[in-house]
Amino acid sequence: MDRNGSPARANGKRRASAKDMPLSASFFTRMYRYLKKYWFLYMLVLPGLCFLLVFEYAPMYGITLAFKDYSPRLGVLGSPWVGLGHFREMIADPNFVRAFKNTLIINVYNLVFGFTFSVFLALMINEIRLKKVKSVVQTAVYLPYFLSWVIFAGLVQVFLEYPSSADLGGVVNQVIIKFGGAPIDFLKRPDLFRGILVISNIIKTSGYSTIVYLAALAGISPTLYESAAIDGANRKDMLLHITIPRIMPSIAIMLILQLAGLFVSNFDQVYNLYNNYVLSSGDVLSTYIYRISLGGSGTNFELSTATNFLLNAMGLVVVLVANKFVSKLDVQGIL
Amino acid sequence: MSRNFQKHAGYRQTMLGRVGFNFYDVFVYAFCVLFAVLCVYPMWYVLISSITPYEEYVKGGLMLLPFGGIDLQYYKAIFSTKAFTNSMWISVAKTVLSTSLSMLITSTMAYACSKSHVKGMKLINALVVFVLFFTGGLIPQYMLYKDLGILRTFWVMVLPGSLNIVYFVIMRNYFSYSVPKELEEAALIDGCTEVGVFFRVIIPISRSMLAAVALFIAVINWNDYYSYMMFISNKTNLQPFVWILRRMLVDQSMMNQVRNGAVSIGLTLPPPMALRMATIICAMLPIMIVYPFLQPYFTSGITLGAIKE
Repeated sequence: MDRNGSPARANGKRRASAKDMPLSASFFTRMYRYLKKYWFLYMLVLPGLCFLLVFEYAPMYGITLAFKDYSPRLGVLGSPWVGLGHFREMIADPNFVRAFKNTLIINVYNLVFGFTFSVFLALMINEIRLKKVKSVVQTAVYLPYFLSWVIFAGLVQVFLEYPSSADLGGVVNQVIIKFGGAPIDFLKRPDLFRGILVISNIIKTSGYSTIVYLAALAGISPTLYESAAIDGANRKDMLLHITIPRIMPSIAIMLILQLAGLFVSNFDQVYNLYNNYVLSSGDVLSTYIYRISLGGSGTNFELSTATNFLLNAMGLVVVLVANKFVSKLDVQGIL
Repeated sequence: MSRNFQKHAGYRQTMLGRVGFNFYDVFVYAFCVLFAVLCVYPMWYVLISSITPYEEYVKGGLMLLPFGGIDLQYYKAIFSTKAFTNSMWISVAKTVLSTSLSMLITSTMAYACSKSHVKGMKLINALVVFVLFFTGGLIPQYMLYKDLGILRTFWVMVLPGSLNIVYFVIMRNYFSYSVPKELEEAALIDGCTEVGVFFRVIIPISRSMLAAVALFIAVINWNDYYSYMMFISNKTNLQPFVWILRRMLVDQSMMNQVRNGAVSIGLTLPPPMALRMATIICAMLPIMIVYPFLQPYFTSGITLGAIKE
């Protein structure tokens, strides 16, 4: 940049007044004065910036592995390039195709059942008129969100376990046996696995996701309800014509965010609940990426990186499009 | 707004008097209470089962209350195993260290980035938010940690995640929108320096927000097993407690070891499920302790940092 060039001047004029920084002063003098004024803020940002660059940006050189044949002897940088070979290998891998399909199906289920349920739950909690009951219900439904999926998988197991010689089996099977049925090995049935994922996800997260809607609902002016009541509206009318329109923007954002995550699979949940019996319906992309590289017996680092890269790129495109929509609504996007 | 809300509630009370009892209300209450029970009952069941004496436990049932007294034999059994006590300490150390580090760098960075008029802050902001959506991924991370020499050490559980991107966004929005600008300006006019503003104005008025975020981050750190599993995986002396729980759920040899250990200290051979339940309770305990402190912040907008009122 030119020492007294216009870019520096254009930037400088926004904050600093002419008195602080005369335009005749050289670029370095002005930079020195600027830094002297804001050195503290730059100092505050520095440690975080270092962590960001080292732990988030530095690994990105490893993405080149997706286009290389890795040999530990040569290292990441020295390994030879192979172009798009790993992507072809990926498309040809039936396990990848299966994981991709499962991820999409499970996410659509979560959208159709989980998302709708959380909106419905928020509306119902909002309709509770006794404050005490309302706060008890809220306390109860937020709680599971804070437990690790490992703990939650433990709870699922406690309830659904098949009886064995050493143990009684889960509560559900105890009840089935009591009523004369044959116990079901829930956790090893591929046809039930997606259902278990969706239901456990609803119990764990839908309570917490009502917070967004409840916050929007708390802002509705009571005069709206009063005038509606005078005009003869009953509570169903109020729900349909006042409450729901008011949370529509929040619903729209949450829906868009959910859609943005269509290719993102919940590693924590699936990894802790699945086993070899349910791979056909339960293996998702993130568990696939783990299993072929670090987990189990796989050491296919390149394929794993390639899959991850593809997913990230697709996800990024979807997020950018989604953010376009979000910023059109009456909210501040995350970007 | 709170006055409106009270008026609203008052109005609803009169509605209650007018409309009285109807099926709509019955449905609302039944639905909400049933779902609340569904959320809490599993934990309650596990707690009661884990303290029920063996004779009562083997009868099964719904375990609504601890009939037959309280017996802590399963807890004795698991804590007589060295791996359990060791991993408790690992988890505590990891949680305390990474939460402090995380708060330190994330909150200072978030504050600086909230000053978007200062040159460069917008760029840094964009850099942070970008990694929310695009990362190197598992293997590139693994390679980097190997190069840095932190692979298979305690530090791989502390350092990499310490800049928490989600809470960075939340805190940045808090500093931008919820801290009154006038306060800062007044302090500056009164001769306070930027440093003074940060320490004497910003930190004191954001104290409760910072405390809440620290608790949220602590919960995340306590629950984290991913960094151990991916980047350490074979050093049993570094296992966090949640990983021990995971092994109790899936690893038959670990289970047998604990059961045999229980017999060797003079207990009856415990059923695997009972030992699992006792482990679940231990893993849940710290979260249950902080949960009441988190509760008031749910509705105060901290968790909604990205959404404007």
